Amino acid sequence: MTTVSLRSLTKSFGGPPVVDKVSLDIRDGEFVSLLGPSGCGKTTTLKLVAGFEWADSGTIQFDGQDVGSLPAEKRDIGMVFQSYALFPHLTVAQNLAFGLETRKTPRSEITRRSAAAMDTVQLAGLGDRYPRQLSGGQQQRVALARALVIEPRILLLDEPLANLDARLRDEMRDFIRQLQRRVGITTVYVTHDQAEALTMSDRVVVMFSGTVAQVGAPDDIYERPVSRAVAEFVGRVNRIPATVVATGPGSCRVRTYLGEVTLQQSTSAAVGHSVDVTLRPEAITLVAAPAEPGAARVVSASYGGGLIDYRVEVATGQTLHVQAFAATRLAVGTAVRLDIRNDSYWLLGSPP
Amino acid sequence: MPVLRRANSPMLLFLPALLVLAVFLLVPYLNILVMSFRTPGQGIPYAPGWTFGNYTKFFSDWFFIGQMANTLWIGFATTLACLLIGYPVALQLARGSDRLRGLRYGIVLTPLLVGVVIRSYGWTILLGNNGVINRTLIGWGLIDGPLPLMYNGLGIIIALTHVLLPFMILPVMGAIQGIDPALGLAARSLGAGRSTVFRRVTLPLSLPGVQAGCILVFVLSVSAYVTPALIGGLRVKTVAVSVVDALIDTFQWPFGSAMALILSVVGGLCVLAFARATRMKWAAAR
Repeated sequence: MTTVSLRSLTKSFGGPPVVDKVSLDIRDGEFVSLLGPSGCGKTTTLKLVAGFEWADSGTIQFDGQDVGSLPAEKRDIGMVFQSYALFPHLTVAQNLAFGLETRKTPRSEITRRSAAAMDTVQLAGLGDRYPRQLSGGQQQRVALARALVIEPRILLLDEPLANLDARLRDEMRDFIRQLQRRVGITTVYVTHDQAEALTMSDRVVVMFSGTVAQVGAPDDIYERPVSRAVAEFVGRVNRIPATVVATGPGSCRVRTYLGEVTLQQSTSAAVGHSVDVTLRPEAITLVAAPAEPGAARVVSASYGGGLIDYRVEVATGQTLHVQAFAATRLAVGTAVRLDIRNDSYWLLGSPP
Repeated sequence: MPVLRRANSPMLLFLPALLVLAVFLLVPYLNILVMSFRTPGQGIPYAPGWTFGNYTKFFSDWFFIGQMANTLWIGFATTLACLLIGYPVALQLARGSDRLRGLRYGIVLTPLLVGVVIRSYGWTILLGNNGVINRTLIGWGLIDGPLPLMYNGLGIIIALTHVLLPFMILPVMGAIQGIDPALGLAARSLGAGRSTVFRRVTLPLSLPGVQAGCILVFVLSVSAYVTPALIGGLRVKTVAVSVVDALIDTFQWPFGSAMALILSVVGGLCVLAFARATRMKWAAAR
């Protein structure tokens, strides 16, 4: 249906740029998340794509056609807002009809398409209700149906799950993803929740202070972060200082307080230089080892249902986060051995 | 738990207001109600005995009924004028975010900052046959004789519109400010241009404010005394002016009381009918 292409998109509101030379190509039917902390420019980027804000410079193309000078109402977009933004004075059916009416769709077709859209979001029969008579989850689905019933070129979602409670959020996450796959619409999704971004997206765009830090598939972002900032924003991570002891094509060897490891990554850092490697908390397996000399020790454990978060102090004094299944539980003070697979380490660019 | 229970009894919070209302509204109203059934006296406020005569006197005399019609007409016209002039101002004030907003807000409130007597005299200077407006127009040769701007309904409507505008602007502005800005964006994402957004989103959602503003302006203009008295003079009298005449000048306490009550009831019925006719289903839906 539609590809989206952003080229050096820049926007400032009088101060430093909020969106700074953002370039991005989104494939037809792709689900792309803009992920970042608040104030990183992800929502402004979405507003630029929607046409609610004008870019200072750069271009926005849909299917290779420049839309940068079109106002939002001419861009043929569907948008879902964090507040849902349902028209409170219109019934559900009237909300759905709104976008079709502005397109001068014949009445009979409006009725047919609205009914079909209500079916799609499993709200058939609620057409006569006013938005405030619906639950949060139902309002959310009306907002989705209203955005999709006009069959827009792209679907834009601005933190649509932020106002829902945790359980409903998981449910809606799956619902939106399945619906998007079924409709096959190109989708841009803004969120500050890394779990949402990782589970829903084909690709994730991590943004910090107006710029794109990394673009990649969810597993790229999580397992192969390009920078410490990305690694630390997307999930929990142990950052371990290391020294390069050997380099080679496509691999290198570093020494850390956990021992020496060979990594299947090349590095520009020379032998003897300091680098950072990361280790995800769930990549470490704890094995009780009471008799072992130089063993690590559990210093805290917080129970989280299926998973337990441990803090472990190694013999040399550093502490590591470890996440493990709650099936085997280790008491605070237990002496443990750390089992870590070599490919769990990830080398970040050399620190400045 | 006791703390919760105390917070859960809102009646307690209403109590001071209820007391004030009872002492200063209910008791005087009852007093007027009783007075309106007393027999008129000669040279004294009222005579012993009871009668319905004060009410039949009002409703059997076209003079008084005409006065009531005139009063209501002034109320409707003032409300309409305030709505037409005030709505665009409210829209501007609600949407503007520049530094001059405080100033514009202040300008809206200025009519309320001037005492009612001074303000009304000010209008007589402007509107009189020999007033600023007529003299200027005659001086420019635009008219031959003075336009009748005073001692008629038009003058009262102009002066009331001036002072009551804030009572229209503020509630409408509040309603517009209460509209989630995302609704406008949502409408635009659905293909609505500026005028469609206004017609289908902003305007209908501002109606609760319009309703409140209309009721306020109508009630205040129907019950206004000083402005109609000074601008209407002896020629145009509203019911409120006649009530004061009866109570103070001609010493007819029972008839004045009856007129005051009739005005309250008729005004109240108008408000009730208006509120019913403009009831917003969506605002009540829960």
